[in-house]
Amino acid sequence: MIRLEQITKSFNGNEVIHDLSLDVPAGKTVVLIGPSGCGKSTLLRLMVGLLWPDSGNIALFQKNLSRKNLEALRQQVGFVLQDGGLFPHMTAIQNMRLMADYLKYDTDKTNHRIAELCELTHISTDLLNRYPSELSGGQVQRIALMRALMLDPQILFLDEPLGALDPLNRVSLQEEMKSIFSQLRKTVVLVTHDMGEAAALADLIVIMKDGYLLQYDTLSNLSAHPADPFVTEFINAQRKPWQQLEDQIN
Amino acid sequence: MTRLRQRLRRGYPPNENNDPSPRCFTGISISPPVKPYRYVGSGRRQLKFLSLLLRVAVTFLAIAPAQAESDLEIRIGSKKFTESVILSEVITQHLQTNKIRAVHRDQLGGTRLLWKALVQGELDIYPDYTGTIIYEILQGEKVTSDPEIKAALARHGVSITGPLGFNNTYALGVSPSTAAKYSLQSISDLRQYPELRFGFTNEFMDREDGWPSLRDHYQLPQTSVRGLDHDLAYKGLEAESIDLIDLYSTDAEIAYYQLAVLEDDKSYFPDYRAVILYRTDLLERVPQIQAYLNQLVGSISEAEMITMNSNVKLDGHSEAEVAQEFLNVKFNTLSKIEVSTRFDRLIRSTKEHLFLVSLSLGAAILVAIPLGIWGAKNSTLGQVILSVVGIIQTIPSLALLVFMIPLLGIGGPPALVALFLYSLLPIVRNTLSGLAGLPIDVQESARALGLPPAARLRMIELPLAARSILAGIKTSAVINVGTATLGALIGAGGYGQPILTGIRLDDTSLILEGAIPAAILALLVQWSFDLAERTLLSPGIQTKQETSS
Repeated sequence: MIRLEQITKSFNGNEVIHDLSLDVPAGKTVVLIGPSGCGKSTLLRLMVGLLWPDSGNIALFQKNLSRKNLEALRQQVGFVLQDGGLFPHMTAIQNMRLMADYLKYDTDKTNHRIAELCELTHISTDLLNRYPSELSGGQVQRIALMRALMLDPQILFLDEPLGALDPLNRVSLQEEMKSIFSQLRKTVVLVTHDMGEAAALADLIVIMKDGYLLQYDTLSNLSAHPADPFVTEFINAQRKPWQQLEDQIN
Repeated sequence: MTRLRQRLRRGYPPNENNDPSPRCFTGISISPPVKPYRYVGSGRRQLKFLSLLLRVAVTFLAIAPAQAESDLEIRIGSKKFTESVILSEVITQHLQTNKIRAVHRDQLGGTRLLWKALVQGELDIYPDYTGTIIYEILQGEKVTSDPEIKAALARHGVSITGPLGFNNTYALGVSPSTAAKYSLQSISDLRQYPELRFGFTNEFMDREDGWPSLRDHYQLPQTSVRGLDHDLAYKGLEAESIDLIDLYSTDAEIAYYQLAVLEDDKSYFPDYRAVILYRTDLLERVPQIQAYLNQLVGSISEAEMITMNSNVKLDGHSEAEVAQEFLNVKFNTLSKIEVSTRFDRLIRSTKEHLFLVSLSLGAAILVAIPLGIWGAKNSTLGQVILSVVGIIQTIPSLALLVFMIPLLGIGGPPALVALFLYSLLPIVRNTLSGLAGLPIDVQESARALGLPPAARLRMIELPLAARSILAGIKTSAVINVGTATLGALIGAGGYGQPILTGIRLDDTSLILEGAIPAAILALLVQWSFDLAERTLLSPGIQTKQETSS
């Protein structure tokens, strides 16, 4: 579904992605994880064409990403940012309808789709006429997710979608996202630095460090057969507080 | 096209048929380019911004009214001193009485400006003096006799009437106390007192028959010599900040201040007989005009001119009234030329001022916003654009107005272009910074949604930068209202006109007649922009009203 071949990318002469290749299969949720500055957000932006690689190829739906087909391909994917990226001058529903209206989709179908998505994300329709500044962080992320799903894209990109939320909201939205992804059978690429989030959502995990892909596998394989000492170190460093407490007691 | 040119040339809307009422124009305050915004409220108006901009620009342009003007309208100019204004008023009213459409473009400037305007066809007629013609206008052509003058002027397409009657030569004057203290009687006496401080009109300072050659002729040693406005010179003399000034021999103030006029004992000053200069082609357009102009030849004695000057400068009558009274006595007419009331003048100045502000600001909005967008998309280009409009802003406004005269003549066009240039910077800068300062997540999600660049600009970027852009337009509009008062200096009219006349006549109420409406207009502009901001910006990006009591 998404194929990256030998991608390199530099900023001001500093190479931040080194010769990286990656294949994301259709219908799977792939989580990019690693410490700050490992290049995971850069990689995500390369996949949506917000950045261009210095060398290498990126293909979505077996089509090479180019400046010509960029807008068309983008309309077939959804993108959610850490802060939602909602347009502050539009209400929630205007944000959601924007692309459908721009592409002149049938209004009834659009309304129907909005009702469907509200149900899916447990958003009350009362909230739809509010501006982003009048919504809570969790509500903003749900609206952003709905906006990304509006045109029923096959691929969803999410950049730390839960990063700005308090722990309680985090957990509940994480559970919701998990059920949404499995219900909709989308191909999902999600960036996070939280191993718990990765464990909960991912079919496959990409562990990155300093612009290199260290290992790309399921969680159990990462744990059982780490390709690099850092993989074990990274997984263990992110264990839950009670696990640490257990370790101390034993 | 011709109509527009004529309208521009006059520089103000002469017709009342059109609707000069500003709709969304007015209101202004100088706000910082980008205010942090808080998101509140609800509604759906995100796409209104473009239409708002268009509406603002078009409204400004629409205020500029339409009016056709006949080529037969004769334009009479006057210099920036009272006698010249009175003479031109006499000529204008005399022609009007004889059913010729004449307009008086009053107090335009000095000799060079008036002469240039006459030769270029901006003016048809203006009064001048033989000495000025010989030593200033035809400087370097070495003409002395009347036929020589006539021939030299003809080469420029200009004709001259016979003398109007009086001689208004230059003279040097001192206060009675200074005259007594130094026992001054003639110009030669000045040689013994190098400490005397001279104050001369700016024109006298550098014309061929002015100060430099007067100094050489009499071997004068004084070094404290400065240029100043003729009407302020009398005040300076009275306040004893200067000791000696140049006079026009028909000045009313000579008698009023009991000034001692120094004898020109070495016959330096030439004759300054008043005459009328007019474009020769005027005779083809309005053949009968020569006869009417000739009726004025020999009609004004020195005593009559002094009386008229005195009636205006000391007794507070308008030039129009004084000219009318003179003509009624001279030609036994009962002309019904109505004297304009303060209210009439206010309406007229307001129209002229609104014309200048609205047209220049409207054009600036249409040019500056695209420039700002362009600059925001390309940061190198943005720096260049900002530098260029920034440099324009540093040119002193008076200098910019004067630079425009050789290119565009006098009146509306040079003032409009100068005001247009001044209005660019705040709008360009605020458009650029408003767009460049958009939050990165908003920019990224607009791109990631798959909106093409033009749609992103229209639907996302411009509406979000609208607050900053509106603040820029508001700043421009306020500056524009203030700067437009300088337009009067080059004949564009507006609120500057009463201010200018008020300074010339030392009449505070006239100065206020221009200054107060200008201030009120600035406030109105401010208020209506504040209103526009509240009604047209999306509630999602409105600043929450300060609620501190």
